[in-house]
Amino acid sequence: MRSRAWSVCRKELRDALRDSRTIIAVFVVPLVLYPGIMLLMGWIESQNKKDEGAMQVRVGLVGEAQLPGLVPALKSMEGVTTVSLDRVPPNLESAGVDAVLSIPPGIAQSIPRGDSVKVELLYKDADHKSSAAEKKLRPALDEVRRELTVLWARSHGAPVAQAPAVAVETRDVSSKAEEGRFMAAFIIPYILVFMVAAGTMHLAIDATTGEKERSTLETLLATSTPRRDLVLGKVLAVIATALAAGLVGIFGLWFNFTVLAGLMPALSSQSVQLTIRPDQAFFILLTILPTAIFLSAALVALGCFARSMREGQTYATYVYMAAVVLGLISFRQLGAPPMERFMIPILNTALLQREILTDTVVPMHAAVALGMSAVVAAIMFVIATRLFSNESVLFRT
Amino acid sequence: MIEVLDLCKTFHDRKKGDIAAVSNVSFTCSPGRVFGLLGRNGAGKTTTLRMLATILYPTSGTARIDGIDVNENPGEVRKRIGYLSGDTKLYDRLTGRELLTYFGELAGMSPASIAGRIAELQVSFQLADFLDKRVGRMSTGMKQRLSLCRVVLHDPPVLIFDEPTSGLDVMGAREVLRIVLDLKSKGRTIIFSTHIMTEAERICDEIAIIERGSILAKGSVDSLRQSNGGGSLEDVFVSTVDKVFREEAARGEPVRP
Repeated sequence: MRSRAWSVCRKELRDALRDSRTIIAVFVVPLVLYPGIMLLMGWIESQNKKDEGAMQVRVGLVGEAQLPGLVPALKSMEGVTTVSLDRVPPNLESAGVDAVLSIPPGIAQSIPRGDSVKVELLYKDADHKSSAAEKKLRPALDEVRRELTVLWARSHGAPVAQAPAVAVETRDVSSKAEEGRFMAAFIIPYILVFMVAAGTMHLAIDATTGEKERSTLETLLATSTPRRDLVLGKVLAVIATALAAGLVGIFGLWFNFTVLAGLMPALSSQSVQLTIRPDQAFFILLTILPTAIFLSAALVALGCFARSMREGQTYATYVYMAAVVLGLISFRQLGAPPMERFMIPILNTALLQREILTDTVVPMHAAVALGMSAVVAAIMFVIATRLFSNESVLFRT
Repeated sequence: MIEVLDLCKTFHDRKKGDIAAVSNVSFTCSPGRVFGLLGRNGAGKTTTLRMLATILYPTSGTARIDGIDVNENPGEVRKRIGYLSGDTKLYDRLTGRELLTYFGELAGMSPASIAGRIAELQVSFQLADFLDKRVGRMSTGMKQRLSLCRVVLHDPPVLIFDEPTSGLDVMGAREVLRIVLDLKSKGRTIIFSTHIMTEAERICDEIAIIERGSILAKGSVDSLRQSNGGGSLEDVFVSTVDKVFREEAARGEPVRP
């Protein structure tokens, strides 16, 4: 029995090792894709940090005159501009600053008395620039802490080492809605790219390679319907499923983060409120259209080229992986991304959706993203039609 | 009417170079007659019929279907043909009616004419009991009847059948042949490929024996028998094809059975 089991095992392994999909799943994906994704994530993180370091931030200072060493220390920092404020503003945006360093009044008297004082850096974690300002100002906070400690030591004639800890803290003043918007802008475009790509994959291959595998292709080609119309019909059907996947995806995200979280108080209090306004949802759906057309036409073209469903599914997996990578690259963005990224299909949609969700749409970005996606989609459609009319492709063995 | 003149088809293979699948095939078939292409698997029957159905482009030569050249106006040719291949399957997730409606629409028929034609054909093809059933749940015989119904839905004057009884049991094959003869009696021009001698004897008015992409012999069943000195059609076929093998062997060519 065991030797027969071994025979079956050997046969299955021999069979599997001659299947390109197994080779890809067992060798290529773990050895190339996953390390590649890890490297890409690392590169994105390092580039984002580099960008953060190069950002120009405006910091509001309240009560800075009480600490004479503070302003020169801040001014020596690259990329930091200081603005003097009378009081802590109700929000950062109204004061036109990215962060506020607040030194409470009368600190010179409070410290010697041993009163509890708290110096705060107010910033928003849900804002790239504000978050960058907080990181830049960390050395300045150390300077504040040092000055206050020296002040206490002088007033008490005691060594600095005996000084009590001075509360110099950072406080994230992002509202839940702002946090939700920030998270939504990061997560939703990435998820939608997956959903749309996954939504197109099966039908595109089934409608093309599936016709070959079922031997229904000849029947179809022998009808009086022009080949262009046959391809167009198939692409339209795939676009419909891609849009449905996108629409259901948007609804699902909204339902989960808005309705379901609201029904579960524990979840609601702890989780971030991912909010999508109806107008944002509408515009996001619009941005999905050219991407859906591009992906549909590309997959239909690949489906026409593939000899079997297995081959077609392998090609579709490559497209899916490419979508995953482009989705990941969309994370490589702090502030306004450069124009050339809006020329790359899928990536441009993710970036444009991010702008929609953060209400920072640049009309030229939208025009380039939609225009380029439409152009590439049209090229893919022409290729799909040519392949569908090419007998050496349709009947290749 | 089908007129085929010096039809050739060459495929290019990266390893083997150019391969002549069909060489200088010529024949004609008139309305109300069945022309049989008799040959082994790989003899060139399917390639010939695919060129007539405008699925493949001829490398040289031409064919006229109902007077229209397949090279010059393939779209018009497609309007005039019904094509059925034995290994053609149907869409399992559609019902019989949905499938017929789909192909009616692809043929450019109006919804009313599709409905009228389905009502008419469901009687003659005995489809009524399963027309609204999903194709995937139909038996092989039901599917074949539905396939034949699809072929004649748009009432084409020329019908191309490529081994339509392939994979069918005796009863199913008889039913297909009955339908083909019925279509012949209605004046359709029919071309029918097969490798089953009894089928060819039963329904074909004229037969061409095809091997290595070339027509080796052509004529009515009786004339082919006479030219071979009697015997069955199978004897005629075997001796004709065997002659080619012997000639190739005499030329020292490798055996390609």
